[in-house]
Amino acid sequence: VPARRIALVPPRYGPEVVGGAEAVIREVAHGLADRGWSVDVLTTTARDHFTWADAEPAGPSVDRTAGGAEVHVTRFPVVKDTPGEERARVDALVQAGDMPTLAEQEAWMNDGPRWPELFHHVLDTAEDYRAIVVSPYMFWTTFAIGGIAPERTLLRPCLHDEPHARFELYEPLLTGSAGVWLQTEPELELYRRVSTPPPQTRIVGEGVPVPDGYDPERIRRELGLGDTPFVVYGGRREGAKGWEGLLHGFAEAVRKEDLDLHLVTYGVGPVDPPADVADRVHDLGFVDDRTRDDVIAAATAYVQPSALESFSRTIMEAWLAGTLVVANGASDVVRWHIDRAGAGLTYADPAELEQALRFVAEAPDQAAALAAPGRRYVLDNYTWPVTLDRMEATLDEWFPA
Amino acid sequence: MSASEDHEVPGTSSSERILVVTPYAPWRDGIGAYALQQVRRLRRAGHHVEVLSTKPSAAHHHGDLRGRAGARLLTRLGRRFDRVILHFHPDVVYRLPPTGGSRIDTALAYGAAFRALPHVELRLHEIDHSWAHEPRTAWATKWMLAGAGLITVHSDEQRDQLVDGFGVPADRVELFDHGVDFEPRTTADRAQARASLGLPADEHVFLCIGFVQPHKGFDRAARAFTGLGAAGARLDIVGSVRVTEQQARDHAAELRAIAAREPGIHLHLGFVSDEMFDRWIVASDTVVLPYRHIWSSSVAERAALFGRPVIATDVGGLGHQVEQMASSVLVADNAGLARAMAAAVGRAGAAVAVEPWPAGGGRARVQEEIEARATAARGGAASGRTWSTAAGERPALSAPIRRIGAISAPAPVSARPGVSLVKRLIRRTIYWEIEPISDQVNRLQRATADALDQAEAAAAPTTPPSPEDP
Repeated sequence: VPARRIALVPPRYGPEVVGGAEAVIREVAHGLADRGWSVDVLTTTARDHFTWADAEPAGPSVDRTAGGAEVHVTRFPVVKDTPGEERARVDALVQAGDMPTLAEQEAWMNDGPRWPELFHHVLDTAEDYRAIVVSPYMFWTTFAIGGIAPERTLLRPCLHDEPHARFELYEPLLTGSAGVWLQTEPELELYRRVSTPPPQTRIVGEGVPVPDGYDPERIRRELGLGDTPFVVYGGRREGAKGWEGLLHGFAEAVRKEDLDLHLVTYGVGPVDPPADVADRVHDLGFVDDRTRDDVIAAATAYVQPSALESFSRTIMEAWLAGTLVVANGASDVVRWHIDRAGAGLTYADPAELEQALRFVAEAPDQAAALAAPGRRYVLDNYTWPVTLDRMEATLDEWFPA
Repeated sequence: MSASEDHEVPGTSSSERILVVTPYAPWRDGIGAYALQQVRRLRRAGHHVEVLSTKPSAAHHHGDLRGRAGARLLTRLGRRFDRVILHFHPDVVYRLPPTGGSRIDTALAYGAAFRALPHVELRLHEIDHSWAHEPRTAWATKWMLAGAGLITVHSDEQRDQLVDGFGVPADRVELFDHGVDFEPRTTADRAQARASLGLPADEHVFLCIGFVQPHKGFDRAARAFTGLGAAGARLDIVGSVRVTEQQARDHAAELRAIAAREPGIHLHLGFVSDEMFDRWIVASDTVVLPYRHIWSSSVAERAALFGRPVIATDVGGLGHQVEQMASSVLVADNAGLARAMAAAVGRAGAAVAVEPWPAGGGRARVQEEIEARATAARGGAASGRTWSTAAGERPALSAPIRRIGAISAPAPVSARPGVSLVKRLIRRTIYWEIEPISDQVNRLQRATADALDQAEAAAAPTTPPSPEDP
């Protein structure tokens, strides 16, 4: 095995992919390549996890880092030849609070998009790598690939407190991977509640790039918002991320409290604002990193409505920009960050969200003051050099050359 | 003669196109796990290998392989390859339960498929040898097997059965090394493995590992272990229970009951990953395979991979497998098992561990003991007895419900020609509606019975405190 060769297996990869776990894998790939590792990314041709359509060409390509290093990317095409009925049936069972049997869980896992060519590529080449990093836990790529060579599998699960994490199906992956990278202590606590972490489990955190600067005025000009306060949400707009809850809470607050407040969003997924507040909801679609950072810096608050977070990269981006975080307190991880950072507000229900939005609209200076400690917290804990040091240390310790 | 995956078919180039037909990853399946390692090995040897599995999986192709349609699918796909390796198991090719007619139909279809393809190798994991003696259908099974270019089996015994029972020419049956494709899944040494599993460093660890099913006989090992806990030994029973099978759940309950009363027996029920499976074996001193019946054992091969001695019952092909392993012991029965386990910890000639039955008290006492043991085996659930005992013990409230049993849709089979097909069509049309209803009825039945037991236990008068109690 070459001394410093590693494979990363995310379900999607590339600058245009929306998803925290996938973004982190790309940054890990770049970071390790810049440090002299030979990095192969083995992934799918998909960009969109709703359709899994082949958006990128299959085969090899090179993703160059800012430092000029090469990340070797190989993409494999999807096979979608099952009706999805079994998957829908099991999802309905889970929604109803029932736990499907192992056989049903296996059928659920395999009744969706699959990548046999990717699977067999790893089957052929697993021993060429010191470690094979799979992430996040729920996807077919992680589950199937993680079982090929568990003795060199490094799982980065990005666990959420959701019924699927308790599926017996995942036990081989969760208990049998040779190493596990976690992001936070609450994720480790959750891991212990749902399974048994293997002996080689470590909290390595993750890094957040620190922008050189921000230009909030540019965004305000482009949006035509003047000095009107707005809150922002970025990422995947879907039920699991709490988008509908945020939209509903925002609309209620605006209607009831007659707030002079707008909601700006970027990312993917349908927006669907209620007609009477549609003129206050602005969708920027997919944006580049620079625009994302400027939007966050221009906002009075970043709202994190998701209860299913394993790290919450976006609240770190908000704190770096000096922007207040208003978060759904149902997420243990986000609450933990906010308590440790001494920055941000949480809400427990729509009524509290309404009041938090009212605070943001009515007291923007106070909101900024509440956000202030957040930047130091991120710089002290979650920058890439520190995170990559931790990751490399585990690679050398668990997978010696 | 021993077969190798790398052997060439006469008249072919060294790099072949091979179709492997098997259950496959990421489904959790013993044959699938074995086939995965075989596929890896063949691909590394330079062959072009594709996989056909019975369900959607990581295989290149999937489809239902049962019956005539399955044989047609195999023929259609297999024609594109130089060689087809079919991991043969009756559940894969026969519709269950197989009637005589369906067995003939399937065997003829597969026999024709084998003859239509360039070269078919059957890797036989299981076949019912009683089929060789059923005059009405044996000829079809024999004709099917004779169509294969090669049949590979785990043991001499199986080879003899094929040659003698099914008339397969001896030169077409080869042994294959069951462990040839196995690779270690853990890098831990014994001390690391024990530390990670929370096992003491200095005790003799007996290990029973695998799916917890009655035919694995882990209960035999538990009974044979009786008394060895005091001699610095422990027995760890590790594996998962197929919760959908009532028989397996009952067996797990029985093991729990034994573990609760016998010091040194530890039960670890739950999913076991490949890595953890190997870690347990590395951590153990002796692997115990107390099987009641089995064709061959992957556990034995993994024990050999890590140099752990095995104590095994001499059933199926296990004897052939284990007798070649250093420091391993074959036993004939429960008494032999107890002696071998005792000898492993330096206690030769230990008494046979038979649970004594009550000597006094007459029939009522024995009856009571029978019921107590049955209750333990049932996992503590009340029995389906609907009458009062001679001692005046009334039946459990749940008894009438437990006697009802589970409901399932009738098998779509018939001895009348064509009716099976019609029944299958009807089943396919309505099963998606029927199955959730029958599942729900079964869940309701079990939940109602459990609830009645709990209610009855809660209502029962508690024992008054003894005067000596503080």
